[in-house]
Amino acid sequence: MKKYSLLLLGCLIIFSCTKESETVDYVAIPLEVALPDNFPDIVYNLDNNPVTEAGFELGKDLFYEGKLSVNDAIPCAFCHEQAFAFTHHGHNLSHGVNGGVGFRNAQPIQNLAYQTSFMWNGAASHLDLQPIIPITAEVEMGETLSNVISKLSADSQYQEKFARAFEDGEVSTENMLKALSQFMVMMVSSNSKYDKYVRQEDNVTLTTIELDGLNTFQQKCATCHATDLFTDQTFRNNGLPVNPLLNDTGRFEILEDPNDLYKFKVPSLRNVEVSGPYMHDGRFTTLEVVLDFYDSGAVDNGNVDPLLLRADGTYGISLNDYEKESLISFLKTLTDNEYLNDERFSEY
Amino acid sequence: MKLLKYTFALLLSVTLASCSTDNDDDNGSEDLSGQTGELILKFDNGVGDQDFIFGTSYSKSNNESFKLETLKYIVSNVRFTDSEGNVFTYPTEENVFIVNELDGNTAGEIYVTLNDVDAADYVSVTFGVGIDQDRFLLGAEGQGAFLDEASEEGMLWSWATGYRFIRLDGTYSSDTVTDAPVNIHMGSVGTSLDNYREVTLSFPNTVLVRETTSPQVHIKADIAKVFDGTTSVNFADGYDQVHTDNVETPIIADNVNGMFSVHHVHND
Repeated sequence: MKKYSLLLLGCLIIFSCTKESETVDYVAIPLEVALPDNFPDIVYNLDNNPVTEAGFELGKDLFYEGKLSVNDAIPCAFCHEQAFAFTHHGHNLSHGVNGGVGFRNAQPIQNLAYQTSFMWNGAASHLDLQPIIPITAEVEMGETLSNVISKLSADSQYQEKFARAFEDGEVSTENMLKALSQFMVMMVSSNSKYDKYVRQEDNVTLTTIELDGLNTFQQKCATCHATDLFTDQTFRNNGLPVNPLLNDTGRFEILEDPNDLYKFKVPSLRNVEVSGPYMHDGRFTTLEVVLDFYDSGAVDNGNVDPLLLRADGTYGISLNDYEKESLISFLKTLTDNEYLNDERFSEY
Repeated sequence: MKLLKYTFALLLSVTLASCSTDNDDDNGSEDLSGQTGELILKFDNGVGDQDFIFGTSYSKSNNESFKLETLKYIVSNVRFTDSEGNVFTYPTEENVFIVNELDGNTAGEIYVTLNDVDAADYVSVTFGVGIDQDRFLLGAEGQGAFLDEASEEGMLWSWATGYRFIRLDGTYSSDTVTDAPVNIHMGSVGTSLDNYREVTLSFPNTVLVRETTSPQVHIKADIAKVFDGTTSVNFADGYDQVHTDNVETPIIADNVNGMFSVHHVHND
């Protein structure tokens, strides 16, 4: 009897030993970031943070993780829903912990590896640092980085996931931000009808009205919404009447340069059909209203982009009804359903 | 040892006996044991004395008015109490429904059809609005087909946040603003705030569930009560946007809980 007990005890010890010594190793299975032919050069330096399967998966887990917020319930995905090109669909302003209301409309998450700056005012100049803004903003996720790390460190699943994703294996702020970047740089939207048309794939053609829209777009919009990213990545004041409730000065916040008053980053127009409402404060709910604004709603707020100055001294872009209709038809060819339904980025 | 065996046998027979008596003696001569039937809950959204219609402007307190484009809510944990006080609970896994005004018939009634309800004479219904913490804690994997349904209906935040229990999207107008956005997305907030509420409604006359009948319970939901219920709230004071606030959402949850009433029942 005693012998058996000892044997049993021995087994138990061996078992517990194997369990504890079962450390998870760093596994570097590389993933390739898409480099579409019709895109400008990638900006993000992948050499400093090469994307691996485990890093990407960890980044995705973190993107959908409530622990990044103070009440454990507001993940990044709260304001960035995939079906709407990762925007806060139907919300003019972002919402956060304890009903906090942000100051701006949540921007889409797509093609960030090709962006030179982030946020409407360009407050983040490197993708790795961008998540710090929403995580720590009181009206968004309201948490501190050190608290996030201590919550993640206490979770054995995250300990393993970090170990698998990074050589030093540490649950650290740096690794968390790198993992989030690995997830985000993989999020490339480049397979809209328009993309296939310009790359001459699958015999995709545009209809007459879409082509007319493209033509108008190239004449009247493409200076700012430039390249196949549909943004020249500059900051501009497009003559929106200033909302006195928000009095959002935009880019001015960063350098307090009066020349930057009311300037916001020119947004990409990819998936614009599903990413409303529009403008930095989400004031316009439809594309029709946006085009009406450019045609006849802009005001001289003191610093409007000279490109928008018309011969009669007013600001705006004159558009007739057919131009508006065809522009919208064209803009809808930028909807990338493959991206909006890509399971690699889905929560479930 | 032998005695123990007999005791068990006795106990078993007593248990069996009590089971069978539970079922059949309530209805006089009628034997309902083993019988099940269909029961339909008809949800009928209105605003005060008016039927609810998308895009129609309805006035509320504080000289404010609202128009809605989306009106849906989650109903779960439906159970019925019979005349003897016995409770029939619909099977947990299927016991969660989205009542979407868009799914209404021409009369604006949304049908929630319950199958295999134990035959009995029911006197009241109890249900919750939203998802209780037990169901939420089953995790995303434990939600069955409802996760996809809720996701497609826009009734799910990201999992960490959970479900939107009620979703009203539209606009409001007042003396000072015209057609400003209204988004009431009340739910629990992860596990940090529980806004699940239950309501019990008595039937004006007994609902007879039998194998051969499908009684209908006509439930009215007065959407006006969302804003002018137990507590009156104003859009201008921040109730135009209700999402995760720990002051606003419990008030809306209580108001929503009070918006239901049983108008009548049909025992066809």
